[in-house]
Amino acid sequence: MAVYSFYIFDRHAECVYKRRWLPRPASIAGKSRPTSDTPTVANGLATMPSTRTTDDDAKLIFGTVFSLRNMVRKLGGEDDNFVTYRTSQYRLHYYETPTNIKFVMLTDTKSPSMRVALQQIYINLYVEYVVKNPLSPAEHPGGLGVDNELFEQSLEQFVTRVLS
Amino acid sequence: MSSSTKVSRIGEELWKTKIDKVNAELVTLTYGTIVAQLCQDYDGNYHDVNKQLEKMGYNIGMRLIEDFLAKSNAGRCANFRETADMISKVGFKIFLNVTPTVTNWTSDNNQFSLIFDENPLADFVELPDDGRAQDELWFSNILCGVLRGSLEMVQMQIEAHFVSDVLRGDDTTEMRVSLVRYIEDEMPPEDD
Amino acid sequence: MSYYFTILSPTDVPLFNIAFGTSKSGGDGIARFRFPEAAQNTYMTQFIIHSSLDMLEEAQWMGGNMYLKHIDTYPPASSYISAFLTPSGTRFLLLHQPPQPNLPPSSSSGPGGGSMSLSVTSGMGSSGLFGGSGSSSGRASSSSIAANPTSPQTEEAVRQFMTEVYENYVKTVMSPFYRRGMEVKSPVFRGKVSAAGRKWL
Repeated sequence: MAVYSFYIFDRHAECVYKRRWLPRPASIAGKSRPTSDTPTVANGLATMPSTRTTDDDAKLIFGTVFSLRNMVRKLGGEDDNFVTYRTSQYRLHYYETPTNIKFVMLTDTKSPSMRVALQQIYINLYVEYVVKNPLSPAEHPGGLGVDNELFEQSLEQFVTRVLS
Repeated sequence: MSSSTKVSRIGEELWKTKIDKVNAELVTLTYGTIVAQLCQDYDGNYHDVNKQLEKMGYNIGMRLIEDFLAKSNAGRCANFRETADMISKVGFKIFLNVTPTVTNWTSDNNQFSLIFDENPLADFVELPDDGRAQDELWFSNILCGVLRGSLEMVQMQIEAHFVSDVLRGDDTTEMRVSLVRYIEDEMPPEDD
Repeated sequence: MSYYFTILSPTDVPLFNIAFGTSKSGGDGIARFRFPEAAQNTYMTQFIIHSSLDMLEEAQWMGGNMYLKHIDTYPPASSYISAFLTPSGTRFLLLHQPPQPNLPPSSSSGPGGGSMSLSVTSGMGSSGLFGGSGSSSGRASSSSIAANPTSPQTEEAVRQFMTEVYENYVKTVMSPFYRRGMEVKSPVFRGKVSAAGRKWL
């Protein structure tokens, strides 16, 4: 199983964290900290033209999950939410907290449901390292986003060791 | 009533299993010191102290709600009455080990009171006898902010204030909570 | 039996004072000290208590106990001083002056002597340092702990009193608005001390 990318959107619809992995996480294990900020990480998703930046990706993904969520709620009631959808190229997993923080993960198509994994990331990584860090701002306006080493390291570990 | 007892069970269970306990005096003394320091810094202007405490509480609430949700795994409440129950029996239970009584609902179900039989923040406290603190200072005002901050994060804009406090010589400690509105989802800014 | 209780900071600043009488054996809980002049009542008690500080400083190193028992006597006023030391060096001092047991009640010839006057100056009209106080309370308490200030029962009662006051003192100084070295003004604490006095003394 391969994790392609991971996004967090806060309640103001702002992307506060994004991270992309190459198709095979094992191959990047040697690299110290391959950041998502490099706009043209080659081959992030096979379907995505490499010319598009991750910022654009984030916007697209937010638009997708936001609309999808609203449609699902109209059909299934206020408490309904979608969990995942799949295309021929990737699978998108979605978890939203009651505080409207949205966790999105893109994986390959063969991956099992990542809902629990996303919840774990929220509970054990995001809340522990970001929310409870008194020096980290409570909100992340202005596009700086979650800039927290412990969180990033732990996420890296979680994705490379636990999920693959 | 059964849903209410279920909520208390959730609170009890969380309190027993997931909560790190900390010495109560440490909390009481820490909070007391903060309030006393604020009173000193604001030169006895208790209105400003109240305001500042509320603001501090708001910032705490914004974070605390995430911890609350992570621990309780609670979903969205169906109505404001459920929210009130959750606040009292799970929220206050797991963070302060008290369960204030929810009462005095208005007929539109948008306003209720929390009556605190005990208040760990106010142990040992005696308000300064300068003739004003008894009338102006809401010692535990941070709690109002905590509620405002945490409920804002779950799309409820509320207003909370104390209406009585045993520290002032009142019979009860009562906080009034009113729902102002439910907050709509925010849309991303338009791209140009 | 009349009591004067005071709390002194480690640097001898008075933090709290209260005078009260026994409530045992029909006492009315009002202090009736027998000092020569009414106006000097408060000064005398403070003077006697503070003069025992040297004894206290000696006694405090003798054992590890917080309760130092009866540490000093001031024979001219037949006053006894008991002391209690908190770990932070705050001293609780209790002056007790038993009713005059040697003189028959009839010797209290003062105008208020035989009555239950509410004034603390009651009996001060009598001559001499040992003028009788309210004789009714004097007679009534002759069999109580008050009559014998150095008996084990008295020591125990004072110890109980001191311990209870200490517990309440700790709670009071834990109030965030109390700063170290400040006078203890809390009415709640005063009430608690009075209650402890009624209970044990």
